[in-house]
Amino acid sequence: MERHFIKELDDLKMTLLNMAALTRRAFEKATQAYLNRDEALARSVVEGDREINNLELKIDQIVLKLLALEQPMARDLRFILGATKISKELERIADQAVNIAERSLFLCQHPPLDHLPAMDQLIEVADAMLDAAITSFVEENTQKAIRIRQMDDIADKYTLEVLQTLIDKMVKSTPGAEKRILNTRRAVQTIIISRCLERVGDLATNIGEHVAFIVEAINIKHQKIDFDE
Amino acid sequence: MEIEPKFTARHLNFFYGDFKALDDISITINTHQVTALIGPSGCGKSTFLRCLNRMNDLIPGIRVEGNIQLDAEDIYASNIDVVNLRRRVGMVFQKPNPFPKTIFENVAYGLRVNGIKDKKILKQRVEKSLKQSALWDEVKDRINSSALGLSGGQQQRLCIARALAVEPDVLLMDEPASALDPIATQKIEDLIHELKKNFTIIIVTHSMQQAARVSDITAFFYMGKLIETGDTETIFTRPSLKQTEDYITGRFG
Repeated sequence: MERHFIKELDDLKMTLLNMAALTRRAFEKATQAYLNRDEALARSVVEGDREINNLELKIDQIVLKLLALEQPMARDLRFILGATKISKELERIADQAVNIAERSLFLCQHPPLDHLPAMDQLIEVADAMLDAAITSFVEENTQKAIRIRQMDDIADKYTLEVLQTLIDKMVKSTPGAEKRILNTRRAVQTIIISRCLERVGDLATNIGEHVAFIVEAINIKHQKIDFDE
Repeated sequence: MEIEPKFTARHLNFFYGDFKALDDISITINTHQVTALIGPSGCGKSTFLRCLNRMNDLIPGIRVEGNIQLDAEDIYASNIDVVNLRRRVGMVFQKPNPFPKTIFENVAYGLRVNGIKDKKILKQRVEKSLKQSALWDEVKDRINSSALGLSGGQQQRLCIARALAVEPDVLLMDEPASALDPIATQKIEDLIHELKKNFTIIIVTHSMQQAARVSDITAFFYMGKLIETGDTETIFTRPSLKQTEDYITGRFG
């Protein structure tokens, strides 16, 4: 006979995985909306956020109940604490996706800026980090979780590159008040998107840290890790 | 405070006839700490507890191998005075077992057995013990009433006072709260926290939560073996062995 508690833990895991899948999808849709200038897709990200928020509340509720009624120990306790932390990170990632979608809606209404290769690369890295965070949780793979941090430096590099490129463009912008204002507004919105992407990478790194805590009972937060080892 | 060993068991084997109930147990139990012994029924934890004041000697057909030292003295040596050992290592049982006497006489009993007759000393020691067991305020006005009129929780604290009256070093507790309601249980647990300042406490409990709440060190027994021992926080948050983890998370058996 399966223990009631084990079933409840499985329910918690399934709810969290569902939240992770929706968050991942929201992020993909937001970046696609930006890249393809797709207004409908951007709107669907904004509209879908409520479902992710509701799942965060549901996870809080399950966690509170399990802590109060089951007095979990050891790995179960770490999993429950980790689940509540991971759901917070996912909710923030989904908020970043909404932010990207809202900026994209603005950009869709104006002619596109010149293509920014660093932005493509930043999207790719942030996506890879989020993917690694979620799969490290699914596979309970601490090594994968820890290595997400390695990608963070690359994400930071591209974020800076986007910033530099757009500042240069704003400085060199053609005279004429109206065009300059539009250029600046588009550039600032794009910079905000790059900042959101960089934050998604940070939050994915946090998820990796929570996975390491759940699986190995190690706390790697605020610790330097030598990846050459 | 420097941690000093109170009990040291080395390669302890214990047999009930042909049945080996304890298998090669080696453990150090520190002074002024609470050590919880946990494990499923029949794992040997109560047998081990009773080895520490030789309560098992009363059972026919038992045999002990290996060594247990109390303050570096072998308690199974032939020259050991077992009555004195049990004075130094007091015991409280699962079910409160007060004598059908007054509250005062229950606590004074061990003192009288040890030859103390001076009424002033008896009175002082009874009061001190009842205060140590957090019962004094509840019984000071009816000290000469029957102990059987006390509630279950009060009776258990009376038994603790009775054990403390002879000024032991160590208190063995065999599921001391399993017959009590949650309020009485909480009082016993609070008392354990207080008592460890002056005594070394070893507690057998089936309640994992109780072990987690009251103890500094937790030792997990299974099928007569000591599987894992460590500080309680570690055992209940990140035990080293899967067997321990499976037991404390209820996946065992």
